[in-house]
Amino acid sequence: MSKPAKAGDPAKGSLPFEEALKKLESVVEAMESDDLPLETLLARYEEGARLVKICQEKIAEAEVKIQQLENNAAGEMKLKPFGIDVEA
Amino acid sequence: MSKPVKSQWNFGELFSPAEMRKVLSVSELTGTVRALLEKQIGTVWVSGEITNLRAQGSGHIYFTLKDAGAQLSCVLFSREKVSQRDLLADGQKVLLQGEVTVYEARGQYQLIVRDVELQGVGALQIAFEKLKQKLAAEGLFAAERKRELPKFPARIGLVTSPTSAAIRDVLHVVQRRNPALEIVLVPCRVQGDGAALEIAEAIHTLNAFNSSLATRHSPLDLILVTRGGGSLEDLWAFNEEVVARAIFESAIPIVSAVGHEIDFTIADFVADVRAATPSAAAEIITEDVFASREFVGAAMDLMQLRVRRRMRIENENFDSLAGRLTRLHPRRKLDNSLQRLDDLQSGLWRNLKTAARSRHLVLQNLAGRFLRAKPSLALKMQRESLRQLEKRLISLGPEQVLARGYSITTDAASGKVLRHAAKVEAGQKLKTRLANGEVFSRVDE
Repeated sequence: MSKPAKAGDPAKGSLPFEEALKKLESVVEAMESDDLPLETLLARYEEGARLVKICQEKIAEAEVKIQQLENNAAGEMKLKPFGIDVEA
Repeated sequence: MSKPVKSQWNFGELFSPAEMRKVLSVSELTGTVRALLEKQIGTVWVSGEITNLRAQGSGHIYFTLKDAGAQLSCVLFSREKVSQRDLLADGQKVLLQGEVTVYEARGQYQLIVRDVELQGVGALQIAFEKLKQKLAAEGLFAAERKRELPKFPARIGLVTSPTSAAIRDVLHVVQRRNPALEIVLVPCRVQGDGAALEIAEAIHTLNAFNSSLATRHSPLDLILVTRGGGSLEDLWAFNEEVVARAIFESAIPIVSAVGHEIDFTIADFVADVRAATPSAAAEIITEDVFASREFVGAAMDLMQLRVRRRMRIENENFDSLAGRLTRLHPRRKLDNSLQRLDDLQSGLWRNLKTAARSRHLVLQNLAGRFLRAKPSLALKMQRESLRQLEKRLISLGPEQVLARGYSITTDAASGKVLRHAAKVEAGQKLKTRLANGEVFSRVDE
């Protein structure tokens, strides 16, 4: 299980998958252009590699997290862990 | 007091006295029967097939319930809240709850119907169609109110049985395709009495939960309402109005996946998205993340390819520029100029030599002509040619021929040379030239 964010890199952890993916898509698309100055191309590559890492960490996370929602007697809603063996 | 004597002739009273008879009116008897029936039988469940159904303008419905051996008159009053009222028809098999009583006016016993349960698959199908028509008319299925599912759901609500195969199917697919998905389960029964209500409640609960969340918590992106395959009866909870209403009222988009591909429930029609099976629903929910996983997986290669391609192009450009630069270098120009100078120099020498030689030739020619042009030489040459001419003249003249003994005869008068003896006439005067001198003569014959 990999942690989504390392300490000291808070920005990385807070970037949602969807945003990281959108950025990555636009980076890859931008790199399609031959008009891009070489320095910019290389900078895009660096940025893309970073985004790939973020995306991969986001979707490689753990097992599916499933919780059970319960209405208790007081009418309060509580989430509690729900255990199920998916592979069974 | 006389003791009554029992004689063999004494038959007693043949007719009891009038005051001893218990005579009932029809109403009394009927009332007694009614009381007896109501007390002894009371409320019952009875099953049979409807026949001879008559719906009155008053809203009451009269029909006969029959089976193979008997018939029972039934009445369903308009005040009874029976949801299947519209579904009653001749030939319909039903289970009725009601009270046995007597309709005294006709002396007919009958069942006052309190509740109706339809029996048989046909009945469920009829109920399904009726509800479908009703909800469609209300606009619950309208295409324009279907909501798009969020592209990348992060947190979803799940309404299903916690022990079902459906939940395993869903989790299995989600685990494989988007393990980052967070699931909030509200367990409920998905078949049997009360299941519909539980399903509806679960949907309401998830909506309430969503609105109770603090803004910093990620809200539910959608709710999946699902159960696996089963008979029409098993799936029936998803065809009930209470479930349809709950789905319709949900502020969160709903995905419905009930049964197999061929099963369509009312819940499916109301939901924003219908999936054929629980697994299919899970695939729809995880589709975009799953597809983007492939993209993310390929992105690195894609970008490296772009950079490598670009480097190759830049290298080629550099080579080509370097070549041009070498060609444009000043030394290269100087080299070129020196070479050109060499070329020009050798050309110049070559041209000078050629020119000198041709001049020399002209001079020689002129000198020759000059020498040949001396006057004494010319005179000598004139004389010589005169001699030559003289020789040629002599050789062409007749003198040499004459010298050899030949002669030339001409007509003396005309001087014409004679060539044919036949043309000579007698008496003609001829002149014959010899080598030395001439002879004149006359032709005899």
